[in-house]
Amino acid sequence: MHQEMFCLARGIEAIRLMEGDNQRETSFERSDVLRRRVRSNQRPKLKRVRSARKGFEKFQIFEDDVNSIKNKYLKEYWKYVNRMKMMKIKTKTAKKNVDYLQMKTRNDVKSENADDKTVPWMLRWKYRRIHPVCDIRIQQVDGGFFERFGSLFKEQAELVEAQEQIEKKKVAEAAAEVAPEKIDDENFDEPAPTVESDEVSVSSTDTEAEVEKDPTQLIHTAWNIDELYSEVLYEILHNVGCDLSFEIGQTSLFSYAQDAFKISNDKHKHLMEVAEKKEAPDLMINVEVIEAKELHPKDSNGLSDPFVTLYLASNASRKYNSSVKPMTLNPTWEEHFALPIQENATDDTLCLEVWDFDPAESVKEKLGKVFDVKGLKGMRKLVKEIAVTATTGQHENELIGRANIPLNTIPASGMTMWYSLDKKNKITRQGVLKVRISFSSEKNNQVAEQEYRHLLRIILLHELEMSKVAPNWWFGTFSPQGAQLLTQHIAQSGLTPVEVAVCQYCVFAFIHQNHALSLTLFSNLLDRLSKPIQMGVVCDEDVKLFWDATKKLLPSCFGVIRKIRRKNINEKTKMKQVTDVLKILNHIHTLDPPTNIDLFPRAAYPWITNRIDDESNCNVPSALNDAVTKGAVDWLNHILENNKRPDESDFARLQNFIQIIHLIRSDLQKAIEFYDKLFQETVNFQYAKALYVFYQEKVTSLCEPEVRDICRNLKKIQYESTDGENAEDPLCDGTSLFELYLAVQKFATLGAGLCPADCDNFQIRNFHEWFHGGVAQWLDIAVYKALQRIEKAVELDRLTHVDNTVKYSSSAVDTLTIFYQVKVFWQQLNWPDVESCYSFIAKIIDDICRCSVFYADKMAAKVEGLGDSQNVYEKKFEITNEWCLAINNIDYVRETLEPFTNDLGMTEVIQKICDMKSPVDAQRCQQTLENVIANAIDTVRNKIIELLEVVVSKMVPSMRRLLVEGAELCEQDCNSIDRLMMYVDNNLGTLHRELNEENFSRTLSIVWDTLALTLKEIIQTNVDKRRPPSFFANLRKTLNLMMGSFKNPNEYDSCDVLSKTEQLLRIHGMETGDLIHEVHKNMQKKFKETTESPYGEISVRAKFQDTSLTVEVMNASNLMAMDWNGSCDSFVRIHLLPDHKFLSIEKPKTKTHNKNQFPLYDEQFTFTLTCDQRQIEDGLIMFSVKDKDLLGYNNRYIGEAFLAFSEIEDTMQYIGCLPQTHLLLDRASNSILASEEMRALEQRQGDKLAKEFLKKFKQRMGS
Amino acid sequence: MRSNSKNTLLKVVILGDGGVGKSCLMNRFVSNQFDEHSFHTIGVEFLNKDIELDGETYTLQIWDTAGQERFKTLRTPFYRGSDICMLTYAVDDKSSFKNIEMWRNEFLNYADVKENGQFPFIVVGNKSDVPVEEREVSQLELETWCNENSITSCIETSAKSASNVQEAFKMAVQYWLRLESRADKIDPGVNDTVDLKKKHSDNRSSCCTGSSE
Repeated sequence: MHQEMFCLARGIEAIRLMEGDNQRETSFERSDVLRRRVRSNQRPKLKRVRSARKGFEKFQIFEDDVNSIKNKYLKEYWKYVNRMKMMKIKTKTAKKNVDYLQMKTRNDVKSENADDKTVPWMLRWKYRRIHPVCDIRIQQVDGGFFERFGSLFKEQAELVEAQEQIEKKKVAEAAAEVAPEKIDDENFDEPAPTVESDEVSVSSTDTEAEVEKDPTQLIHTAWNIDELYSEVLYEILHNVGCDLSFEIGQTSLFSYAQDAFKISNDKHKHLMEVAEKKEAPDLMINVEVIEAKELHPKDSNGLSDPFVTLYLASNASRKYNSSVKPMTLNPTWEEHFALPIQENATDDTLCLEVWDFDPAESVKEKLGKVFDVKGLKGMRKLVKEIAVTATTGQHENELIGRANIPLNTIPASGMTMWYSLDKKNKITRQGVLKVRISFSSEKNNQVAEQEYRHLLRIILLHELEMSKVAPNWWFGTFSPQGAQLLTQHIAQSGLTPVEVAVCQYCVFAFIHQNHALSLTLFSNLLDRLSKPIQMGVVCDEDVKLFWDATKKLLPSCFGVIRKIRRKNINEKTKMKQVTDVLKILNHIHTLDPPTNIDLFPRAAYPWITNRIDDESNCNVPSALNDAVTKGAVDWLNHILENNKRPDESDFARLQNFIQIIHLIRSDLQKAIEFYDKLFQETVNFQYAKALYVFYQEKVTSLCEPEVRDICRNLKKIQYESTDGENAEDPLCDGTSLFELYLAVQKFATLGAGLCPADCDNFQIRNFHEWFHGGVAQWLDIAVYKALQRIEKAVELDRLTHVDNTVKYSSSAVDTLTIFYQVKVFWQQLNWPDVESCYSFIAKIIDDICRCSVFYADKMAAKVEGLGDSQNVYEKKFEITNEWCLAINNIDYVRETLEPFTNDLGMTEVIQKICDMKSPVDAQRCQQTLENVIANAIDTVRNKIIELLEVVVSKMVPSMRRLLVEGAELCEQDCNSIDRLMMYVDNNLGTLHRELNEENFSRTLSIVWDTLALTLKEIIQTNVDKRRPPSFFANLRKTLNLMMGSFKNPNEYDSCDVLSKTEQLLRIHGMETGDLIHEVHKNMQKKFKETTESPYGEISVRAKFQDTSLTVEVMNASNLMAMDWNGSCDSFVRIHLLPDHKFLSIEKPKTKTHNKNQFPLYDEQFTFTLTCDQRQIEDGLIMFSVKDKDLLGYNNRYIGEAFLAFSEIEDTMQYIGCLPQTHLLLDRASNSILASEEMRALEQRQGDKLAKEFLKKFKQRMGS
Repeated sequence: MRSNSKNTLLKVVILGDGGVGKSCLMNRFVSNQFDEHSFHTIGVEFLNKDIELDGETYTLQIWDTAGQERFKTLRTPFYRGSDICMLTYAVDDKSSFKNIEMWRNEFLNYADVKENGQFPFIVVGNKSDVPVEEREVSQLELETWCNENSITSCIETSAKSASNVQEAFKMAVQYWLRLESRADKIDPGVNDTVDLKKKHSDNRSSCCTGSSE
């Protein structure tokens, strides 16, 4: 066993040597987070390289596949060919087969290749969509400005998050590892893996005097060692029970004891003899030296260092000494002694002497040395030295006084008495001494306990020295010999387990002050003790001892809490320690410390802050809270000290904050993961929350003023200096600023999650306000950068499709990338305040809209001039793909505006405003945002239309020329028409292919509108040039041909201008006769619509039979009075129209009926028509009712009426049986005169027919 | 929704102390409504309104800002790119009148306009409907101040009684036109760098589409 221990110790030593270097580092290392950050920066690169390599490998594999497939087919092919050859069958089928095989080979390979090409393209596209990547050259415009804030930023945040997850996992694992150990605590038999000197760990942060010890406690150890030693020897000799195994012989126990007590051989021999002679005493007198009062001062300082010597007069050589109480006149000892008495003891006397301890070197001076004493060994030596000095009497001690108590004065039941102290030849009283005296057959319990405590201490110190157990690792295992001695003592003294536990607790706590023991030891002891103490089973004295020990133990417990962040202990051990500490604290708290004991003396706990006045009103929870806070304070100071900023630049300041917040957060994270549950479960203490409350205040007071300051002083961007690189980027701190923002945001979120109830009271809650100015500034600058980028993107755009699946080019994607980055930035910000959130969104939307408009402008400028070509004969414009792409680009950007704004979280913000303010406010805000968007979309749409108009206007000259050419050369040269058709077809074809439906139809309508205007112009010029109707007819033909070539014939129906123009062309294209007839037809239509007439009415009948037309003019009524006499002399003339088709037909008239406004004509006329004439569909009969002039020269028109051929029945019936047709008379009016037809006639200046008609028409109007 | 025709777009910013009636002015102008109990504007508000002047149609994009100090950082970003700035005060509130200068400076500071003094500011004294005894700023004071600060356009309005509201905006556009025509004469060239300041002349067209004659 011993051997084993030794081995272990050696092993430990070896480990210590190995790990020495690491351990010697400062106890707080720069946090993991930092290292993690560094690592995280490298990691993605690695990953990328790795994935790239993977891709490459994949590709190779793929290539191999292709090759193998190729080979396979080729082999097959050749096999086949060979077989064919061998069989010498050169039939067609064979060839076909070969071809087939060849084809198959080719196709398969091709299809594989095709997949290879398309898949990555698709992927790349998809990738772009989700994660737009900007052209590097565009990024260079502003040094990746947007990426820094957008995606990269997000990626970074995500990475950090991922790292944290990993870290969390690690922590969880560590926690899980610790957990099972809790179960088999008892078997915790592992050797200490690391041994480090306590001094190193303490030195870094420990400045307070935790080492400060109550000197009196040391004196307490001053015990009569020889007495105890002989007692031990006696116990070894008189072993009880069969515990003494064969392996451990008496000899080994003796030598162990001698070593432990550091007894010289001579002395051992002597004491051995004493012990051998010693017999079990029959009767003992138990003396408890309690206290003394009003002792006579002996020292120069007016005090004494008293100790008590007691002995029986019959055996004066056997003296028992109490410990020395330095510098007091009212000492309290409370020490127990058991003195054996002889048979004839009745006349014996108990002598009590109080001495002033005053050696050459006083105890006091020696105690002074305690502070110099280092390590266990030295400590032990000193204690012994004091004890020896005090007991052997080799000193110049002065007697203060003595009391002699005859034994026969003591009652059998015992007594407690004050005795006054006398001194020979001194009359004055030397003081009083209080003792309790009783008789018993055995050792008094208290004496036994005291002995046990001493023994325990001596053995433990010895063992610790021998085995060199590391601090915090000894947890109650003695060597067999030691255990044997202790067991014997317990057995022979008859101590109860509880008493043993109290003793152990006290001794361990004492030792623990100098040599840390495993805290598990204490928590286990407390497990055993707490119940008896609560139930009051433990005697008062032991309770007092217990609390004294607790007082000694607690500082180290709180020390553990305060130094929870120390790095020099592995996590598992630390967890264990903390668990034990918390268990201990919990026990102590539940035990409810007595009020008369100050568990938290000010001297030992300088860091306890919340003391009210001088009262020691600390309790365990409040002390714990203070310990936690103090730990955090120390740690924070440590961080601040170790993270000094290199300079006072904004950048350094921000980076510094970021680092600090990261460190704090990682500490919190750790607290949450590791300890919080432990604290809450064990002592119901919200550890993480306590930390957070502290940190958030610190972070706020640390960062807020500076961040505000930085934001306030952000330089305004100088827009003028766009040309050079010299313009210093005012946002070089920008990234840091928002990195910090994110860090603080995360920190705040952590708090909200940690203590949702309190987070409203945290100062950190309003952290975003610190950054307010910064964000506003950033947005402002972002527009500027965006515009720069857009310009660059347009400049770099080669106007080719991004890929086969889309119809826009790179600059559109680049522009959207900018938007995307802005969006990501905004989403990252996750701005908490609703009101400013709304304003920012409005601003972003407005900016984005501005960018879109700007983009549209730039795009339009870019394509301007494209597609123009010129040769000797003509200047020509062709619609190119570039034009279409430009339009598509703008449209694509426009389309994304609305979804983009939705992505900004507009709806949520509006909803929040609605909840927070009022629905009215919300509605107004929404209206504003919608207005801004609608505005932008409209503006951009107008840009598109503008651009389309430009396109069309560029097409017009060519179209115009072709139209005119077509009109002039229609008959002779159809080539021209073809060319026109081709031109239109090509250009519209391009548009149709490239543009989307909406824009194409937009284009068409613009084309039609423009074309109509052009045609009108052509018509006008050519009318002016007096072109023959055939010219216009040809033009019309050309136009119709062209319109027919458009894809959608319905399109131009809606085009009013065009149909009008077409009509115009039709008119101008007509021969004069036809044109005149057209006028008449219009008149007929118009007349039919009249319901009332001032001119009168005629009644007629008409019928066709075969080719003959019979017309009966029956009467007229209400004819207008034309003459001075108020009546008229009317007749009716009948014309068949169109005139030029009925040249052979007469124009008959009725007789004149004088002075009659209601004449009855009753005349019938029959016209014999040719077949052709009968077939004229739009033929008209015109009835002209005239007033006959007396002279017959100047017949005046009363009115006219028309009857269309189509209205006349073709019947065999007698005309008299037909119903009458009543026709209202009317006259040619100005509206007819103003018609296009009349105008066209007027423009035919050289045309006789037209001239005549016009002249007559004026008459017909009645003028 | 703005009409499809392409008018000249003008960005107008209304500034002034909280409570002088900026939103009311805008609402009166745009929708001819007046709400006695309107709330504080949150950050900014935005409305469109077409206005006809000498046969030309102008689309005013009006940004109404929040006057309260706490909104300062929220409103200033909207100044940039403005064509017209309307400085408002209430005639029954002397301090709001005194602050006009501050508002002008804030605007000049954030809008980043080059030609100081050349910018079309219009000073509008709202609430002209208040009884004479409550009036704290006289028309004369207004004119004096404008003269001193070489601002040629100023007017008293009442959003409540709808007096002079349309006129105020018209006046603003006229002022803009005057400056614009002068600027065109001086600097007919179009710079082709990133024109954040938007030369109005080169990207604003006033032609119309689709009409027959």
